[in-house]
Amino acid sequence: MDAVEYLDLLLKALLLAGVYAAMAVGMTVIYGVMKIVNLAHAGFLMLGAYFALEMFQRFHIDPILGAVMALPVFFLFGMLVHWILVRWLPKSDTPTLASLLLMFGFLLVLQNVGYLLWGTEDQSILTPLTLSSVQIGEISIAKVKLVVFVAAVVCMIVLQIVLHRSWFGRSMRALIQNPYAAKIVGVDDQRTARLTFGLGTAFAGFAGALLGMLYSFSPDFGRPFLLRSFVIIVLGGLESVSGVALGAIVLAVLETFSTAIPLPWYWHKWSFYYLPPSYQPVVPFALLVLVLVIMPKGLAGLFNRKWKAA
Amino acid sequence: MKRPLGAAGWIKVILPWILLAGLLLLPATHPSDNLIRLLFITAVWTTTSLGWNLLGGMAGQVSFGFAVFFGLGAYTTALLMHAGHSPYFGFVGGAAIAMLASFLIGLPTFRLRGPYFVIATIGVTEAVRVIMNNLDVTGGASGYRITEDKPFSPLEHYYTAIAAVALAFVVSMVIAGSKFGLALRAIKQDEDAAADLGVNPFTSKLWIHAIAAGLTGIAGGIYARRAAFFYPGDVFAFQTGISILLMPVIGGIGTVWGAVLGGVVFGMVEEELVVHFPNLHLLIYGSLLIVIILLEPDGLLGLLRRLFRLFRRKREDSGSPDADQILWGRGGVEGRKF
Repeated sequence: MDAVEYLDLLLKALLLAGVYAAMAVGMTVIYGVMKIVNLAHAGFLMLGAYFALEMFQRFHIDPILGAVMALPVFFLFGMLVHWILVRWLPKSDTPTLASLLLMFGFLLVLQNVGYLLWGTEDQSILTPLTLSSVQIGEISIAKVKLVVFVAAVVCMIVLQIVLHRSWFGRSMRALIQNPYAAKIVGVDDQRTARLTFGLGTAFAGFAGALLGMLYSFSPDFGRPFLLRSFVIIVLGGLESVSGVALGAIVLAVLETFSTAIPLPWYWHKWSFYYLPPSYQPVVPFALLVLVLVIMPKGLAGLFNRKWKAA
Repeated sequence: MKRPLGAAGWIKVILPWILLAGLLLLPATHPSDNLIRLLFITAVWTTTSLGWNLLGGMAGQVSFGFAVFFGLGAYTTALLMHAGHSPYFGFVGGAAIAMLASFLIGLPTFRLRGPYFVIATIGVTEAVRVIMNNLDVTGGASGYRITEDKPFSPLEHYYTAIAAVALAFVVSMVIAGSKFGLALRAIKQDEDAAADLGVNPFTSKLWIHAIAAGLTGIAGGIYARRAAFFYPGDVFAFQTGISILLMPVIGGIGTVWGAVLGGVVFGMVEEELVVHFPNLHLLIYGSLLIVIILLEPDGLLGLLRRLFRLFRRKREDSGSPDADQILWGRGGVEGRKF
C-alpha cells in the first residue's frame, strides 16, 4: 500500500462520513428530545430507499431530487407515527425498555410491509451517475458518491440553521438541554416532540434514499445501518448534532481502513496480516460494544473528563 | 414457616406434574407425526423462552442476543456428534460452550445498564453471525449437516425436548424460590439499592446469564439434531433472537408460567402461521409487541389474570408491578394511566 492508496481510502472515508452523518442525525434529535432509542430508524431508512426507487422508476425523478422530496413526505409520516404510537409512551429522563420494544415492534411491521410491497430480492438505483467517475490525479471517485456527499452536507447545514434560527429549533434544543426549564419558559413539549419525531423521520428517509443510491437494498436493509447510526450517536455524545459529524467521521475512517491496516500477529514469529474483507462488517458491531463500554459519554465526554482531571 | 396452600396454590403445585405426565404418556395414544413434531418444536422454543426469562424477566436484563447461544449450542452439538460422540454428550458440550460464550459477552456488556445493554446485545449477535458466516470449521454460510447412523426416531427427539423443558422449568422454579432469585429481583428493581444490601449485581447477572445461555444452548443442540441441517443465517439469525425474546414478553415477562405460556403459544402460532401466512409473520409479531407494550405489559398471563379477576369479587389491584419494573424503569413513571 502506498501513499496514494491511503489518500484514496481517506477520501472515500470522508465521502462515506457525509452520508453516515445524515443517517445518524435523525436518531440523535429523537433521542435528545424524547430519550427514545428509535429502533424503527432502520425501517425509515429502508422506506426512504424504496421511496427514491419508486420515484425513479415510475416518474423518472432523479434520485437526488427524490431524496429531497422524501423530506416532507417522511416528515408527515413521522408526525403520524408519533401521534398514533409514540405519544402514549410515558415521559422519562432515561430511555425505557418499553420505548425500545415498541419501536422494535414497529420496525418489524415496517419490514413486513416492505416485504409485501417489494418482495425479498435486492434492488438498486442505477443512474448514469452510478458508473461514471471523476479522475483526480491517480485517484478516481464515483460521481454518485460525490453527489450524495454534497446533498448530505447541504442538508446538515440547513438543519443546523433551522436548529439555531427558528423557534422550533430553539425550543427543541432547549428541551434537549433541560426539559423542565424548557417547559417552565413555555415550550410546548408535546408539540415539539411531535415535530422532532417528524424531523428525525424525515432525515431517516432522506438518508435512506441516499444510501439506496450507493448500495443495493432489500427490506432487511436498515439493520446494519441502524447499528452504525447508534455507534455514531454514542461517539458523538448521544444528544449533540455537531457530535454526530465527528462520530460519523470516526466510524467511516475506522471502517474504511479496517482492512487496510496491517495488524501485528504473533505465531512462531511476528508477522502482519490484514483483516479479510469478509470480516469488515464486524467492525461497526465490535466498535459499538467497545464504545458503549469504554466511553458511554462519547468522544466529547472523554475529552471533558480529561480536562476535568487536569 | 409455611403458609397452608389454598386452592390456587394446589393447582400451581399439581399442574406441572399433570402436564408432564400428559406429555410423557401422549405417544401411547399414537398421535400423528405432525403433532409430535409440533410439540417437539414447541418444547424447544419453550426451553429457550424459560432460559431467556431467567435473565430478561427475573433479573430484568433484556437481551436481543440469545440467538448466539442457540446457534453455538447447535454447532457444538453437531461438531461433537461429527467427532463420534453421543448426541447427549453433544448437548452438554453445547451448553458448556454457550455458557463460556455468555461469560465472554457478559463481562463487557454487563457494565452497561438498561437500553445500552440491549443495544450492545444487538451488536454482539450481528458480529457473531458475520464471523460464523466466514468460519471454515463449520462450513461457513453454506451450513452444516449432521449424519446419524441410527434410523430417525421422532419419539426420541420428542422425549429429549420434553426433558429439556422439564429441566428448564425446574431450574427456573428453583431459582425463583431461592435467595439468588430474590437477589435477581432486587437487581431488577434497583441495582444500586441491591448493591447496598450486599448483592453483587455484576456477578449475579453473569451467573444468571450463564445459566440462561446453557439452557438455550441445550435447546439449540436438540433443535439441530432433529433438523439435521442448519446454517448461520438460520440459527444465528437476528430473527431467532427476536423470537426468543418475544415468547416471554407475549406470555408475561418475569413469571415462569408466563414464559411457558408464551413459548407454547409462540410455538403453536409460529408453526401454524408459517404454513398459512408466510408473508405476515413479522407483521403479526410486530403488532403483538406494540399492543402488549401499550396495553397489557403483563402479556397473556396478565390478560388471563384480568379475566379471572372479573369472575371473582372486585378488588383494588395495583396492576402489574413486575412487568412495569422491567419495561418502564425504576419507580413510578408519570403518564402511565389507562
